[in-house]
Amino acid sequence: MHLHVASGYSLRYGAASPAALAERAAGLGMETLALTDRDGLYGAVRHVLSCADAGIGAVVGADLKVASTGEERIVVLAAGRAGYRSLCRLVTAAHAAGERGNPLVTREMVGAHADGLVVLLGPWSDVGRAVAGRRPDVAARLLRRWRGTVETAVEIVNHLDEGDGPRAARMLALARAAGAPAVLGNAVRYLDPEDHPVAQVLDVTRRRVPLDRRHLDDRTGQAYLKPVPEMRRVAELACGPDEADALLAETRRLSERCVLDPARDLGMDDVHLPSAGGDPYARLVARCADGLARRGLDGSRTAAARLDDELAVIARKGLASYFLTVAEAAALIRARGIRCAIRGSGAGSLVTYALGIGDLDPLRHGLLMERFLADSRDGLPDIDLDVESARRLEAYEALFDRFGADGTACVSMMETYRARSAIRDVGNAVGLPPAEIDAIAKAFPQIRASQITAALHDLPELRQSNLASGRLEVLFRIAERLDGLPRHVAMHPCGVLLSNPTLRDRTPVERAATGFPMSQFDKDDVEAMGLLKLDVIGVRMQSAMAHAVAEVARTTGEEIALEDVPRDDPATYALVRTSRTLGCFQIESPGQRELIGRLQPRDLDDLVLDISLFRPGPVNSDMVTPFLEARAGTREPAYPHPDLEPALRESLGVVVFHEQVLRVLDVMTGCGLSKAEAARRSLSHERGQAVVGAWFRERALARGYDAETVERVWRMLTAFGAFGFCKAHAASFALPTYQSAWLKRHHTAAFYAGVLTHDPGMYPKRVILDDARHFGVPILPLDVNRSAQAWHVEPVSEGGPAGIRVALSEVRGISDAEVHKIVDARPYVSLTDFWRRARVSRPTAERLVLAGGFDGVHTGALRRDLLCRVGALERSAAPPPVVAGQLPLDGADGSGLGLGLVPADDAAPGGLPPMTPAEVVEAELDVLGMDVSRHLVTFFDGLLDALGVVRAADLPGRPDGADVLVAGVKVATQTPAVRSGQRVIFATLDDATGPVDLTFFESVQDRCAATVFGRWLLVARGRVRRAAAARPGSGSASITAYACWDMTVLHEEWLRGGMDAVRAAMAGPPRPGRPVGRRIVHPTGFAMSPYSDVGHAGGAVKRPPAARLWHTSRGSSGPTP
Amino acid sequence: MTRVFGDPVDVWVSDGRPVRFVWRGRLYTVRRVLEHWVTTRDWWRERQPDGEATGEREFWRVEAAPGREVGVYELRYDVPADSWMLSRVWD
Repeated sequence: MHLHVASGYSLRYGAASPAALAERAAGLGMETLALTDRDGLYGAVRHVLSCADAGIGAVVGADLKVASTGEERIVVLAAGRAGYRSLCRLVTAAHAAGERGNPLVTREMVGAHADGLVVLLGPWSDVGRAVAGRRPDVAARLLRRWRGTVETAVEIVNHLDEGDGPRAARMLALARAAGAPAVLGNAVRYLDPEDHPVAQVLDVTRRRVPLDRRHLDDRTGQAYLKPVPEMRRVAELACGPDEADALLAETRRLSERCVLDPARDLGMDDVHLPSAGGDPYARLVARCADGLARRGLDGSRTAAARLDDELAVIARKGLASYFLTVAEAAALIRARGIRCAIRGSGAGSLVTYALGIGDLDPLRHGLLMERFLADSRDGLPDIDLDVESARRLEAYEALFDRFGADGTACVSMMETYRARSAIRDVGNAVGLPPAEIDAIAKAFPQIRASQITAALHDLPELRQSNLASGRLEVLFRIAERLDGLPRHVAMHPCGVLLSNPTLRDRTPVERAATGFPMSQFDKDDVEAMGLLKLDVIGVRMQSAMAHAVAEVARTTGEEIALEDVPRDDPATYALVRTSRTLGCFQIESPGQRELIGRLQPRDLDDLVLDISLFRPGPVNSDMVTPFLEARAGTREPAYPHPDLEPALRESLGVVVFHEQVLRVLDVMTGCGLSKAEAARRSLSHERGQAVVGAWFRERALARGYDAETVERVWRMLTAFGAFGFCKAHAASFALPTYQSAWLKRHHTAAFYAGVLTHDPGMYPKRVILDDARHFGVPILPLDVNRSAQAWHVEPVSEGGPAGIRVALSEVRGISDAEVHKIVDARPYVSLTDFWRRARVSRPTAERLVLAGGFDGVHTGALRRDLLCRVGALERSAAPPPVVAGQLPLDGADGSGLGLGLVPADDAAPGGLPPMTPAEVVEAELDVLGMDVSRHLVTFFDGLLDALGVVRAADLPGRPDGADVLVAGVKVATQTPAVRSGQRVIFATLDDATGPVDLTFFESVQDRCAATVFGRWLLVARGRVRRAAAARPGSGSASITAYACWDMTVLHEEWLRGGMDAVRAAMAGPPRPGRPVGRRIVHPTGFAMSPYSDVGHAGGAVKRPPAARLWHTSRGSSGPTP
Repeated sequence: MTRVFGDPVDVWVSDGRPVRFVWRGRLYTVRRVLEHWVTTRDWWRERQPDGEATGEREFWRVEAAPGREVGVYELRYDVPADSWMLSRVWD
């Protein structure tokens, strides 16, 4: 019955979810509910679905800003299919008319889309303003104009603010005098009266001001979803009992008229594909036949039978034009020279292989179509394309060009409040100083806002921070209540809608920050609306590989087609087996390096297994160990029944893949793979497990399997089924994994140039750089005459080994324009020459100097002197103007023979001391974010040797269980889900000889967590843990740590008081450990920490912290070099 | 003319609205509610805000009479304290 309701999709305005509103409305006995979010239909699809679930009628509208001098708003409701279409088009027009983020309508625009629309004029409309300003004559004239434009009703709202009641009465009198319909509204913003502080925080956050009564829209706490009797009472207070009844009756009538039918009015009952024309199915059949022939499969009877099966399903589901569309999209992207690979279950289809969408032969790798496309699967199948991240928008352009701006749109996504963002906004609202807000927000890991209080209690790194001292209680309590509210509309990173020109009748479209048209619906919404969403995912590794291939072509002339590289190169697998896989796709994390060490992959299928095994499910079910033992030959593979051997042989009796679950179900019940896929999907929830369990037992027993076998197989399926991995997906990941490893093995320098340029992995670039050193790739320093925009390969000397040159874009704060100017005006003969012709900003010039960019120009000059010179150049007059017709003084040929270009002048010594190696590295870390000239840890070698620290390179030689000290720069921390349900912290240190992987269990986190998350240079003590099936020397030994310290603190102690002081600093009393939070137990019995897999507390690890690394005191310029 | 008071009063409430009150020993009968409004508390200024209370302050502007002469009175109800006061009088 409520006609004017904002949900959280009214950004920084509404405070309830559409589902909660619908459920409450139904609970209050209302038969309809409208959702009229501000500026768009972002929540409309959820609202329609929620109302259907709650059994009430859904009304859809929008609360739109009207172009005016003040802030005027109207509510626009849609009646019927025509109304919904008009609403979509009006909202799109509003976003096109206003500047981005400030959509506007005019009365004329509303008039242009009046078909099926009903406008409500409330207190915020021009009519309402005139009534409030006691200008009934003006109000009557404005109302007449609206009624001449579009169907209009007056909306009576009384929020019980001072003056609201009399105003409502005058508004009603106006409507009655004009003979206009009048309805009752409450401009709802939240569910319950107690929610009003949240709305008040949103009011001031929207206006970017601190909390104060005069900045609030909501001063009365009345904008809740009021029950009908309360609405009647408020109306009665202002307008009298008879009018209250009349208003309620009119409100009901209008809302019933505006209820939309999801199928008839919104088109949810159909799919809306691009128009194909002709007979798409016949075209698809022909294209597939051609494709099989091209792939050399035309003689295969297996392939022909499989193709027939797949085509039959496609025919039954009427999806031929879908496949043709996706094939065309992939071809369009590749035609622009953009690398494009298929990911996900779609790789399991022979049709996608034949059409050239994917490059993996599903028959050869045992992939099933049913996981992707089956009669038992509803909706459109999901095909995802991976493209080069750096060229993702170019790929979108190709699609928009082909499918037309009317029939194409990006998908949006809502960024929602989480702990850190909620703390920031509430902190600003209550007026905390910005620095304090920043410190508080960063103290939290990247958890949900609703976990704030629990985290303060659970997490050792927060317990020690004194944040829970009570002073901040209000902040945290309100911040928790912002949990999950949308706060920003963004372009979804990959979804593109491909449809026909009716798309604009189905979804409002606005401009994304990138300029692309973007639907206001998110990925779930568009699926419900029957729209085809193609995921075009930007993958940095694809860009990195493209860069590497281009560098090989540039330096050697060799053209590599990665797709055609044989997939059985022994040298590549030999490299993978060493676990030295930093920079490679999917297999560089500490856990993966350990697993690879144990699994020792020999071919692509092993990589597929490896990627699938490294998931929470398999790890938690401890299926990894039995599998590895069977693989190592120390245990016979066990099959629950001989019939299952064919399905499980590839993984030696263990269920790893979804595809195997399907096969097992099919073998035991004879149900066919399509039905098996439906059963598999039901295994993920408890209710489904019960139903499928009963069915499975009955069918399997009926087919003659004994009760014990049936039970054993069922236990295996429930344990692994829900967590297994789609083999097609793993296989499509294994391909770039192999390709990246192949590049690392055979084109090492180009590989690092690609990885350093596009940064695809989890580690800071300085780790990749160090890895390059270990692989013998020389690192060439920044040089204004040689460094390019990106990292590139450069022979160290004529015909010498290939090194990699630091890229200009690594310089902190440098703009793309500056990079281009520097590259265009090369070469430079001096700093002065550079300053005059490259025209970069002073900070950029200074950073180039500090990071050594001029060391090659001014051999032997001191960076400090050059730095002074930059200041002098800036202070000196602007460069002399170039007079037309006269040769420029600097020399047009760039030889720099002009005035003031005497190099000696530039580098005139100024009596400053040279930078120490430590200062050089510090400057490099500050400017480039990486230690180029020398590894950071080498400055601490004295201390580390005195302590007897074991280096990464020496760890493989240490026995299992040995107690050791290790040290290094923190390069990664993770808290993945693990089998015990603990929050385990995995940290990786880099100590100049390689990575050291540390594990901190909950029992030691009280004394370690704050240091691990908060410090950058660490010393840790722990026991060596040797991976079970690892071969000696394979490098996969990790440390179970039980103590850790800040290396710089110990170093200061060492300088101050020698080893005695260091030992004293390390000898703190141990604190007892305790569990970190409760466990979440899944129906499959898998326990999980609520803090697993969340971003850690503190700043990002990817760049070094801004603070100085070591204190310089009394003549000391850092650690001893 | 308007006069401002802050006197505590006893108020009888029926059907959610004030019907009679006693001020300085005299009984006033409410003839008509002229206006009713509410304000929330400035919870962000308070030392220990519980943040859960609602309708923090209610105002009732009423026509009331102790005998024959009718005046306009503004009654204020503080929800958390459950207390009434007479805030303003027009007579």
